[in-house]
Amino acid sequence: MEQEFAREERWSHLAAEYQTMLYRIAFANMRSRADAEDAVQEAFLRYMKDEKPIRSMEHEKAWLIRTTIHICMDMLKSGWRRKTVPLEESVLAASKEVYLPYQIKDDRTLEAVLKLPVHYRNPIYLFYYEDYSIQEIAGALHEKEGTIKTRLRRGREEVKKILTEGRPESL
Amino acid sequence: MSIQEIGGSGKSGKDRIQEYPDRRKKEHSEVFQESLMQNLKYQGEAQGRESEEKKRLRTSGKEDRPGIGRIGVTAGIRVNTITKRDVIQAVEVRHMSYEESDNIEIAVTEGYTLKGKREGNHVYVEAKYDDGRLEAYQVDPRQVQAQTQHRIEQFAVETAAGGK
Repeated sequence: MEQEFAREERWSHLAAEYQTMLYRIAFANMRSRADAEDAVQEAFLRYMKDEKPIRSMEHEKAWLIRTTIHICMDMLKSGWRRKTVPLEESVLAASKEVYLPYQIKDDRTLEAVLKLPVHYRNPIYLFYYEDYSIQEIAGALHEKEGTIKTRLRRGREEVKKILTEGRPESL
Repeated sequence: MSIQEIGGSGKSGKDRIQEYPDRRKKEHSEVFQESLMQNLKYQGEAQGRESEEKKRLRTSGKEDRPGIGRIGVTAGIRVNTITKRDVIQAVEVRHMSYEESDNIEIAVTEGYTLKGKREGNHVYVEAKYDDGRLEAYQVDPRQVQAQTQHRIEQFAVETAAGGK
């Protein structure tokens, strides 16, 4: 009984600590409030179910970010979602619904970032809008730091292209 | 090059020396002396400037090192001149979060972010670049020139004026 209480307390602490941040990351991927909430909930459920021994807070955070992104990718790949989400409209709405803890001066750039392919979108979003370091992003996405740097650089070029040419979004 | 080398070679030169020995000798020595004096004067001035600059850096406690006092590598905020030390100083990075900052700038297309915090008469500015560099500066916004093209200085002024 005592053990269960301690576990519940730990889970609620975990949710309070990370749910907003995970929601924003999920939202950047899903561009839908309901889907983002589902993804975050699923990530917490997987974490609780597995109950793996966590080495550190940083490791725990990285695990949750990685799992949330994986869940989002799985959801995006589903045939049902591809058929039902009107993509062009959703990006415009999504960029206005990312509730960042600060005010951004340029909505158009965030809108362009949300249009990037996922392998550019997540590093760019985490680096610029969540203020993660390259090392942290590499840990969360299970990639090498060099890979993240390359994606940041190429992603930046893609954002420029989207802003100047208005290219259509991709998943 | 010595005096002998200047005046000693060349047949026509020799002939002329024989023809007008006093005049030629005087001309050469005068030219050499003038050029020597000019060189010495120039060297003296250059040394003076160098020692003054060194003295100024020593008193301000900062010597130029690669990456210190030079702002940014990305196109948007590259400044290739040495920064003015009384306005902006490189300081230790504190890893300030967005929430703690009074002003932030997210420049995705330029490859950097800036975070600024007002601290008394100064503004602490943290710059993060997409090549992994993290730099921090302390800026005195009162001393920033109105026409400055320096992005960190401009950002510090915006922050002091109450950005975010």
